[in-house]
Amino acid sequence: MAELLQNLIDGLGRGSIYALLALGVAVIFGVMHLLNFAHGELITVSGYAAFWALDAGWSWYLVVPLIVLVSVATSLVIERVAFSRVRGADDFTLLLTSFGVHFVVSAIFLLYVSASVKTFSRPGWVTNTFAVGSLRIEVFDTVVIGVTVLALIGTSLLLQRTMFGLALRAAAADFDTARLMGVRSDSVIRGAFALSGALAGIAGIFWLMRAGSTVPSAGVNPMLKGVLAALIGGLGSLRGAVLGGLALGMAEVLLRSRLPDSVASLTEGVVFLLIALLFIFRPQGLIAVAHAERV
Amino acid sequence: MSNAMTHHPSRNLRRDVAFPVVGAVLLFGLFLGAGLLYQGLLGGHERLVTFALIDAVIVLGMQIYIGNTGILSFGHIGFGAIAGYAFALSAISPVEKLKRVSDAPFGLVDVQLDPWTSIAVAVVVVVLVAAVVGVGLARSGAESGAVSATVITLALLFVTHELARNWPDLTGGDRAGLSFRIGGALDTRVPIYLALFGTILVARLFAQSRAGRLAVAAREDNLAARAMGVNPLVQQMLGLLLSVAVVGVGASLRVYEKGSILPGDFFFNLTLVTLVMLIVGGRRSVTGALLGVGVITAGRELARRLGQDGFEIFGIGLDDAPLDWIFRENLKTVFLGSAMLAFMIWRPAGLLDDWELDRWLRSRFGRRRSEQPTTPPVVEFDDTDALVVREVDVAFGGFQALRDVSIDAGRHEVVGIIGPNGAGKTTLLNVITGLVPSDSGTVVLGGVDLTGRPSFEIARHGLVRTFQNLRLFSALTVRENIEVSALVAQKARDHQPPDVDALVAAAGLWEVRDRRARELDYGTSRRLELARAAAMSPSFLLLDEPTSGMSDAESTAMIEQVRLMAGVIGAGVVVIDHDLNFITGICDRIYCLDCGHVIAEGTPAEIQADPAVQAAYLGSSAQG
Repeated sequence: MAELLQNLIDGLGRGSIYALLALGVAVIFGVMHLLNFAHGELITVSGYAAFWALDAGWSWYLVVPLIVLVSVATSLVIERVAFSRVRGADDFTLLLTSFGVHFVVSAIFLLYVSASVKTFSRPGWVTNTFAVGSLRIEVFDTVVIGVTVLALIGTSLLLQRTMFGLALRAAAADFDTARLMGVRSDSVIRGAFALSGALAGIAGIFWLMRAGSTVPSAGVNPMLKGVLAALIGGLGSLRGAVLGGLALGMAEVLLRSRLPDSVASLTEGVVFLLIALLFIFRPQGLIAVAHAERV
Repeated sequence: MSNAMTHHPSRNLRRDVAFPVVGAVLLFGLFLGAGLLYQGLLGGHERLVTFALIDAVIVLGMQIYIGNTGILSFGHIGFGAIAGYAFALSAISPVEKLKRVSDAPFGLVDVQLDPWTSIAVAVVVVVLVAAVVGVGLARSGAESGAVSATVITLALLFVTHELARNWPDLTGGDRAGLSFRIGGALDTRVPIYLALFGTILVARLFAQSRAGRLAVAAREDNLAARAMGVNPLVQQMLGLLLSVAVVGVGASLRVYEKGSILPGDFFFNLTLVTLVMLIVGGRRSVTGALLGVGVITAGRELARRLGQDGFEIFGIGLDDAPLDWIFRENLKTVFLGSAMLAFMIWRPAGLLDDWELDRWLRSRFGRRRSEQPTTPPVVEFDDTDALVVREVDVAFGGFQALRDVSIDAGRHEVVGIIGPNGAGKTTLLNVITGLVPSDSGTVVLGGVDLTGRPSFEIARHGLVRTFQNLRLFSALTVRENIEVSALVAQKARDHQPPDVDALVAAAGLWEVRDRRARELDYGTSRRLELARAAAMSPSFLLLDEPTSGMSDAESTAMIEQVRLMAGVIGAGVVVIDHDLNFITGICDRIYCLDCGHVIAEGTPAEIQADPAVQAAYLGSSAQG
């Protein structure tokens, strides 16, 4: 029982980061029908920014806002340079454009920075734990969960209470109609990329703190988790994305601790298999989004 | 109606195969020639050419699925990994296996097959895996569109990679890998030549086959294809299996030639390279895919040389050139990523789009019917097949779109459905053709209950529709558009439609039969959509606003067109329209819908005189 509780807390911590990533993916899918395979590159770029800043003697208190800023800026630049040129293109083009961005960004770091791992010091409290009864809880997990809850509340206030949020939700529900109703597609799309960048930035802070290093290919894993979680939740559904992230984190932690030792190293593979099974039996994801074509 | 489209099956067959064979020989010759030229004259590495030949097999394998179905797959290299390991595990000698994978499960340690049997084993294994994965792809693709199918293929790539890395008992793990001692690499390229030639031919023949053409129709417009009786999942599955089999051959050859296999060999990098090759040349074309392999191989080689030697190529060197800092070791990856991005932004269809060498040859040198066929005779309708719609209710959320709607139509008549905007006319048509589920009520055709059946089954039973906002297969020619339904009708309908050429001519499309559908003007597109529906030889043609956006003269001509098409296939007609001239001119009976309910039924004269219709449909001005 205690072990299960322990797993749940660990899973919640891990799942929170995935949820933030997935939410960023879902926001962009909502306005552009683009599944953003370049989402993880926001973490690659801000990871290098963090490395250089820390290397130059900045403290983590300054690096944290820097990561979010860099992530938002990168997201906007990528939108401007690549995605704004393929708006309205078919799925195939959109998917490969984001895939191309993913490769170009990581290749640029590979080419002009270094292929080797850049490590940086992590804040001391990241590895601290405290005990509640027989549970050993990581300070890090509690911070992650707390900040994620705040970020989700902030996002939902933004979406529910502001004009921008209304425009974004309208665009996500029906982009063409929203435009006819006077929603400005440019600003909504840019706003969505900024929001997605901010969410990725927050996730990136934790991702980088936990890793304590960065490499050119650092974006692959966060991208994959974010995209898969958004898909598990049901593409286009914002609530689904959060749910999908938590489910994915939970599944990983539970499997890792419950699978027999001989196959524990295959956890990732098993998770992918479970996802594939989910799609065979519930192809629309956890939360179905109506997307019937009009005829 | 035995004068169907198979006039002379044997001659057609010879012609259908002859051009692809000639085309394949030429393509193979050109591709190999370019490789040998580079190897011989410019001192290129022999291995580079060998791998380009093998990559061509893999890329064409991917083209069979991605090009014809339009679904992006990241998973083909994952399938390649499975085939590669299956090949390695069957071909490596037990002695070697004891060193690398002494604990291999399933008694694999003692297995040793010759390389060619091993390739066959690899293909069988990977096709079996693909059959299972294909079910998942089909299910999620059907429910949530091609995007989720793509993500599943990406997940597949990662699953195979994780398994390869973390199952050392089977794969030798991340570092050791599996390497060969069966005489090293291939000592001759002949098997590769055979594989490539065979692949080119197979890829072209598939694209021309019934399955290939129906897959392409669904690629162009999934919904319209289903409304023409195509079940895209079947064609996509066939395409996937064939494509994976070819990739399996290519992957085995790659492992054989390389002499070893590591998890990283079939992962992100190879996925990137092969996808870029496919899209640069043109994913919809076999010729394009081969061109892409050539262009990208050359580009990579150039980037590699630039990265290695600084700004020096083919002996022309610029020492300490200012651009040296750009040309580094990993230039290749930047080159590939940028090529992908640039093509997606500026030329997403690739260099050749869907141009094919053999199709071009056929259009230049093939014999074709030049005289315009005469209009086929009017067919006796079979009046046992009445369409009976009873008590249909549909609600979208809180909005009652249809309430207790019943209509009847016989094959001898033209039935009109009119009503103001939002009255539920198109929804009714969508319910009848299975695109929108009804909450209650039945749709029965000739005694067969079609309620709730998928739209492609309903189409095959004989209810075929057109769309309010034209849905043609836009990249296909006029004739090919009509052929799609004729191909479905051949199998699905016992009552065969007239010859395709005769229909083309009857629809007044003879002059434009080789033009692409997207190049047609509006009125011509409407006629094509009608002819495409007629080629299914349905019991009923269901037309959704066939005259919308037409002038009076055009809509009058449309009356003749609809009568003619219905006549030559002996079909009844149910038509929705706003245009009162058209409706009263063509219909025997009219139903008037308002707010989802039938408010009147009768002959055109009765309907025009009905006060309820005037109030609802013609508005208050008509009353005053």
